[in-house]
Amino acid sequence: MSYLSNTKFDVIIVGAGPAGSTAAYTLAKNGLRVVVLERGRTAGSKTLYGGRVYSKPLEEVYENFRKEAPIERWVKKERFSFMSNGELLTLEYSSTDSTSFTAYLSRLASWMAQKAEEAGAVIVTDIRVDDLYLEDGVVKGVRCGDEVLRSNVVVDAEGVNRLILERFGMVPKLEKRQVALGLKQVIRLDASKIEGRLGLAAGEGLAWLIVGEATGYLPGGSFLYTNSSTISLGLVVFLEEAYQNINQHVFNILEDLKQKQSIKEVIADGVVIEYGAHLTPEMGLGMSPKKMYGDGLLIVGDAAGLLLNLGYTIRGVDFAAYSGYLAAKTILKAHSMGSYNSESLSFYQKLLEESFIMKEMKKHKKITKLMRSNEMFTIYPGILLDTVKKLFEIEYSSPTILQALRNSIKGKTSLLKLLWNIFRTFF
Amino acid sequence: MPLNIIVCIKWVPNTQIVNIDPNTGTLIREGVPSIINPHDLNAVEMALRLKEKYGGVVTAVSMAPMSAKTGLEFVIGMGVDRAILVSDRVFAGADTLATSYTLSKVIEKLRPFDILIFGQETIDSSTAHIGAQTASWLRVPYLYYVVDVEYINGVVRATRRLEKKIEVYELPTPCLLAVAMKSNEPRPVKLSHKLRAKMENVIEVWTNNEVGLKRECIGLRGSPTVVEKCIVTPSVPRKKQRFDGQDVREAVKWLVDRLIEDEGLKII
Amino acid sequence: MKKMKVDEVLNTNIWDVDSKPHIVVDYEKCRRLCNKKACVYLCPAGCYTLTGGEILFSYEGCVECGTCRVICPHEAITWNYPLSGRGVQYRYG
Ligand SMILES: Cc1cc2nc3c(=O)[nH]c(=O)nc-3n(C[C@H](O)[C@H](O)[C@H](O)COP(=O)(O)OP(=O)(O)OC[C@H]3O[C@@H](n4cnc5c(N)ncnc54)[C@H](O)[C@@H]3O)c2cc1C
Ligand SMILES: Cc1cc2nc3c(=O)[nH]c(=O)nc-3n(C[C@H](O)[C@H](O)[C@H](O)COP(=O)(O)OP(=O)(O)OC[C@H]3O[C@@H](n4cnc5c(N)ncnc54)[C@H](O)[C@@H]3O)c2cc1C
Ligand code: SF4
Ligand code: SF4
Repeated sequence: MSYLSNTKFDVIIVGAGPAGSTAAYTLAKNGLRVVVLERGRTAGSKTLYGGRVYSKPLEEVYENFRKEAPIERWVKKERFSFMSNGELLTLEYSSTDSTSFTAYLSRLASWMAQKAEEAGAVIVTDIRVDDLYLEDGVVKGVRCGDEVLRSNVVVDAEGVNRLILERFGMVPKLEKRQVALGLKQVIRLDASKIEGRLGLAAGEGLAWLIVGEATGYLPGGSFLYTNSSTISLGLVVFLEEAYQNINQHVFNILEDLKQKQSIKEVIADGVVIEYGAHLTPEMGLGMSPKKMYGDGLLIVGDAAGLLLNLGYTIRGVDFAAYSGYLAAKTILKAHSMGSYNSESLSFYQKLLEESFIMKEMKKHKKITKLMRSNEMFTIYPGILLDTVKKLFEIEYSSPTILQALRNSIKGKTSLLKLLWNIFRTFF
Repeated sequence: MPLNIIVCIKWVPNTQIVNIDPNTGTLIREGVPSIINPHDLNAVEMALRLKEKYGGVVTAVSMAPMSAKTGLEFVIGMGVDRAILVSDRVFAGADTLATSYTLSKVIEKLRPFDILIFGQETIDSSTAHIGAQTASWLRVPYLYYVVDVEYINGVVRATRRLEKKIEVYELPTPCLLAVAMKSNEPRPVKLSHKLRAKMENVIEVWTNNEVGLKRECIGLRGSPTVVEKCIVTPSVPRKKQRFDGQDVREAVKWLVDRLIEDEGLKII
Repeated sequence: MKKMKVDEVLNTNIWDVDSKPHIVVDYEKCRRLCNKKACVYLCPAGCYTLTGGEILFSYEGCVECGTCRVICPHEAITWNYPLSGRGVQYRYG
């Protein structure tokens, strides 16, 4: 084992995703000596997500965020669809103001890392951290191969596959019920075609979520986001349910979706320029360690299970970045007191509890459960589409909505349960 | 005497990616980052093994735009001691002659050197000229396709693998070795080295102010090669014939018949 | 757009594949213990294939998502990330 002693950092951050780089940026700006260790060739080269970021929390952390960040389009149109037998029932919402934008996560993460570097942080890429390094049971640095780098405190921002925390024994081995698998293709398409086909004004963005047949009726959802001249198209499936029910290659579900008329029309003459997949925490706080801190250790972002999946939207990037920001604030306080034990670092948990992150996660706790009920994805899309069909495809008599709904539900579920679940999900 | 080893690496567009726009038939180049010529990492590995075995200093040299700094940081991460980025607009547009001339003049300034190590060829042009030409400018002996090297009593003993035989040569120092691709598997990057690359500003940038070459000998002006025209080879449409049987012998016979009858293949 | 195969789509990515695998599968466990073999359907890069009823794993197209590690019920997989930034190189992510 060789100890690298010529350089001593106040803080080591593992992972240059949104969480890690935002922590680094905040710490470096306040004068601490920070190093970020990232296993990828560049910051952002290993991260992947769906496509849309909520902007407010990031604007609070980064000055001039709106001007400088690599934003693709501001989201002006939201769509939510149920898909069954190739037909769609769609709710659409257009707004004049927008609170979220589409972006490439690789570029956003790389921008954040660059900001951190400009603020004075050292970003070291191509380096995989293998373990936390302990002295007398206290985290005092990290181990990479046979080398040890020391610091006063380590921020674990390694993302959802938290190998380091598992090895340390801080969290049990990741289970399939705790995560979902997302896959995505980036499809190049002229801006004018994107806008024309989706009814967007120049520069406007769309976020579109589809459940039901779009995931081969597996619990989860498909998404389509518009970037300047590409479309991000993908899907997320809960691993536990997928494991039990899947009967074809998961990649084919996405390819099948591309063949559905409503999607096919949008992506026609497009060229796939990237394909990837990533896991995402899906259990609300169920994946979070009880304590998100330890002696000399803080856990942020996906590694801490901080993510909200509401079915019609996923919030991970802003949660991750903001948790990194709160971790940095905690460390700054600990630094001024000269103590990095778990007691002073527990301040992080307090900041988290008081922040929108925990409030949101607690508020939407019930949804996570509903999101996983098979009915939501197998039965409801069919019922809803059937109902609408009865409403619009009139032969002789025109039914009332309730009549149509009752007829479609027959034998499948109770009307009350259906209405209640839909109500709970969306309001 | 510790060895002074110089390894040359080229920063190349990543030609492994082939996204073709079916509507226009052109290559989609946007967002494709450059990389270290992969075969040059084998050269770096051989240089580092030599250093480990016999002691010495490894200097990496690359003539490239400033973006190649990342590539040099990577090889420092592998254990290279010193890195020189030869970067100036006047060097741009060089053919093999101007490239090897410039590299040889840079290497002159690093005298006394013992062993120059090059990759076999590049993935973007793959002329495999630069090593031989550089050696010629410097008037040192050179050997290609080297897979292994020893340094015994001031003599370089290099093994090279050819298609059907293995040859062992002895060369005096200084000499130049071009490493066979896929030999000398590159080692992983180390934290301590990478930290040094980041913290100590180890990459020296040399412009023509440092090298001091005449404009007519370098860059586009020093390059007699003229690329007149690039022809994209037209894709041959596939006939999409299919053999649906099960028997392998039948399949082979069917295939041979198709080649003879439809494509005019002659068996002699 | 025509229906694409997984290899075709993976080829649109930038790669720097390591010469050593970062994931190792204990085929003996697949053979003896596993009927479901869910990795075949769930690996988004199609790294697990069945040939004559036996699992064959190839790491080259792996996008490092971690799915196989999480779903394998028999701990047949020794899983890690590649070293030195090797593996998939997302430009968009
Ligand atoms: C399919 C999908 C769709 C999503 N859609 C959205 C969306 O539309 N909007 C949204 O806001 N969120 C979305 N998310 C969630 C969002 O991507 C994550 O919440 C967010 O990226 C978490 O950031 P992070 O910094 O915690 O982790 P990551 O972004 O995963 O970053 C972790 C970093 O650590 C590095 N690393 C890991 N291990 C090591 C190690 N041992 N040594 C060194 N470095 C290491 C990794 O290379 C990586 O760079 C989605 C996620 C998925 C999977
Ligand atoms: C379409 C096209 C056609 C061309 N045709 C010709 C031609 O006919 N004749 C001609 O002379 N040029 C030609 N060129 C230009 C030529 O390819 C480049 O000038 C290039 O520098 C030649 O080297 P190479 O890549 O073939 O290197 P190789 O000779 O294949 O490289 C061998 C080794 O030399 C070292 N090396 C090479 N370049 C550098 C560098 N810049 N810095 C440090 N080390 C280096 C590396 O170790 C490398 O592995 C052409 C270019 C194009 C785009
Ligand atoms: S799930 Fe695990 S044990 Fe089963 S086939 Fe796949 S790797 Fe083997
Ligand atoms: S990590 Fe993901 S992509 Fe790689 S082999 Fe496992 S499931 Fe497939």
